[in-house]
Amino acid sequence: MSTSLGAILREQYGVSRRDFLKFCSVLASSMAISPTFIPRIAEALEKTPRQSVIWLSFQECTGCTESLTRSNAPTLESLILEQISLDYHHTLQAAAGDAAERARDLAMKANQGKYLLIVDGSVPMGNSGYSTIAGISNVDALREVASGASAIIAVGTCAAFGGLPHANPNPTGAVSVSEIITDKPIINISGCPPIPVVITGVIAHLITFGVLPELDKLGRPLSFYGQNIHDRCYRRPFYEKGLFAEDFDDAGAKKGWCLYKLGCKGPVTYNACATLKWNDGVSFPIEAGHGCIGCSEPNFWDAGGFYRPLAVPTEGVAQLTQMAFAAGGALGIAAGVLNAKKRDHAIAERETVSIDDLKRKG
Amino acid sequence: MSNASFSRGYQALKAQIDAPIAAYFSSCVHCGLCAEACLFFTETRDPKYTPIHKLEPLRKVWEQEYTLVGKLKAWFGLSTPLHDQELADWQEFIYNSCTLCGRCSLVCPVGNDLSYMIRKEREGMVAAGHAPDGQISAAKRAITVGSPMGVKFPALQAQIKHIEKDTGFIVPVNQVGAEYMVTLSSMEIMNYPEYLEALARIFKHAGKTWTLCSEAFEATNTGIQIGSSDIARELVSRLVNAAERLQVKTLVSPECGHAYTAIRWEGANLMGKAFTFKVQHILEVLEELRQQGKLKTEGLETARMTFHDPCQLVRRGGVIDEPRNLLKTVAQNFVEMEDAGKMNWCCGAGGGVGAIEQAHELKTRVFQRKISQLDAIKVETVVTACANCRITLEEGFEAYNREMPVLGLTELIAQHLVEEPATENAHE
Repeated sequence: MSTSLGAILREQYGVSRRDFLKFCSVLASSMAISPTFIPRIAEALEKTPRQSVIWLSFQECTGCTESLTRSNAPTLESLILEQISLDYHHTLQAAAGDAAERARDLAMKANQGKYLLIVDGSVPMGNSGYSTIAGISNVDALREVASGASAIIAVGTCAAFGGLPHANPNPTGAVSVSEIITDKPIINISGCPPIPVVITGVIAHLITFGVLPELDKLGRPLSFYGQNIHDRCYRRPFYEKGLFAEDFDDAGAKKGWCLYKLGCKGPVTYNACATLKWNDGVSFPIEAGHGCIGCSEPNFWDAGGFYRPLAVPTEGVAQLTQMAFAAGGALGIAAGVLNAKKRDHAIAERETVSIDDLKRKG
Repeated sequence: MSNASFSRGYQALKAQIDAPIAAYFSSCVHCGLCAEACLFFTETRDPKYTPIHKLEPLRKVWEQEYTLVGKLKAWFGLSTPLHDQELADWQEFIYNSCTLCGRCSLVCPVGNDLSYMIRKEREGMVAAGHAPDGQISAAKRAITVGSPMGVKFPALQAQIKHIEKDTGFIVPVNQVGAEYMVTLSSMEIMNYPEYLEALARIFKHAGKTWTLCSEAFEATNTGIQIGSSDIARELVSRLVNAAERLQVKTLVSPECGHAYTAIRWEGANLMGKAFTFKVQHILEVLEELRQQGKLKTEGLETARMTFHDPCQLVRRGGVIDEPRNLLKTVAQNFVEMEDAGKMNWCCGAGGGVGAIEQAHELKTRVFQRKISQLDAIKVETVVTACANCRITLEEGFEAYNREMPVLGLTELIAQHLVEEPATENAHE
């Protein structure tokens, strides 16, 4: 565990110094860090003893892990994973049963207060039987492991905000990590799933600088979640010109016009999809012809329909408004009739003024 | 007939709230622009003279009687009902410091006709017995004697005799079928008899038939000023009946602002029927004659002159170009005051304020505005077309120690008439 990352890269994987520095450049630019830090990242990654990482999976679909592994060898993201000491990850580890749990205990004892905890999946707060691992409920496991961690990375929208299990009616009482653990630094890497390089980028940042990256108000690293998809979308010029696809197979869609009217949530979604893209920068959903569904935002599943445009009122509003108008109109007319009656009465009651009764008498 | 009382006044206010009033109160945005339009605010800087504040009693009645919010406020004790003392206190705002000049109505950004509202509010004040004593006496004289200043027909007859003697013309009285029926204000009979003489010369010059009526020579209407439609109707009906009986084509309003408003703009509504004759202000008549070439003048006044627009003429009636066209035919040094025309500042004593004794000091104080307007253009003579403006200007100049002659436009025109009658027109 004490072998440095640099040594392992050279000796075990035959990665050249040049390739390694290239990876460091990519990391630095993707996180908007000054190029002068590239040597520092390289130095830190080369010299740092392998960081112990415990990965806990709760109510999740393994999509986040899949996302990470899809960026596998020979890309450099996977190398980072090799360089951390992934001491516990029940999907990826070879050990099973008691041996697996023992590995976790050992790692916790050996690196008490220093290991990094990565969580994917939300935690059920209803019946603990909804999700247990080795007979331990998720919430107990989270509390125990989190107590000795230096920091927690909540990977995926489920761990960060509750995600799909949290969606209405939330049968398991699913909550995010930050709703249970409040005394540890938590970084939310939301997305369903998150972009692989964002996960590796944040881990590299922690190893390199030893501090948390700058976060937005939802606990997400600003370097990846600082701008919304819409502002960086290559279809934005069509939006500005008012050119919209009205249907997925109309002429506008074929010409690549803006998908706003087809329900794209780009304007309210903060993520790096439009710039980093997916599958090694090949494409992203909007480029593939489908609007953004807003997966990196809290409650995206309950936000009113993936194909409903943002600015259209939700169902029933129009009818409700009509009824309110009718009721208001009826009240107004009734009040008007009453007032008119009152005034007619006042006019009828009014006595003609003559010069003899201009002054009060007595 | 019962006497004036608070409950009568309240009832009257309730009856006055029509759709325009309700709309005006609902749309007021409390911007306060009307304050800067009001002479009584600008010259005193006292916010109590803000026009919309003068309407508080009427607003209260509207809110509490006709709106849900007002009723809720009253239930929860958040507002107090209108009471008698409040109305009494408001006399100062509704009468003493409002000339119904209508400047506030013109500046209101939401289009509220504030002077219309104050006119309506006065109906309630009259019924409650809170009209000022000076106006009550004037109204009584108008109804019983026939003129607010107590002028009777014999006094006019004496003037007529003088004029006939001086000019050698006949001044026709009760002439059936004349084209114009001329009316006067008491002020003109008592203080400015030259007005009637000027008319005699002008109609003779233009070759037009005209007449006075012995039973309806007085056109001023104290009912409009005090704010009583009942009294106003009685006074207007005298003129209307006379004009109908004499079968005249046109009833001519004298050089008097509110007399013109009373007969021209409120008259038909008060009577509830259309007139069989036309109503024109004397300036409108003169301008018409000038355009027809029937008013030939000679010689030009050399003094530096300006024209003071009577509020009712410019803001109610839109008579703006007429006096200027006329004045330019006889004056070579005509200059305009700042804000001349439809935004001209009131003399400060219209709308009955001149008849209120308690308002005398305030009226003199706000005359400062006219003094500043005139000082800025350095004129030697002021011309106007309203006997009430004229007397106010004269009194104001005296109070501020200014030597400034004030002329009536009609007399000025008459002085410049070409002596021999326009013969070519006489055959028409």
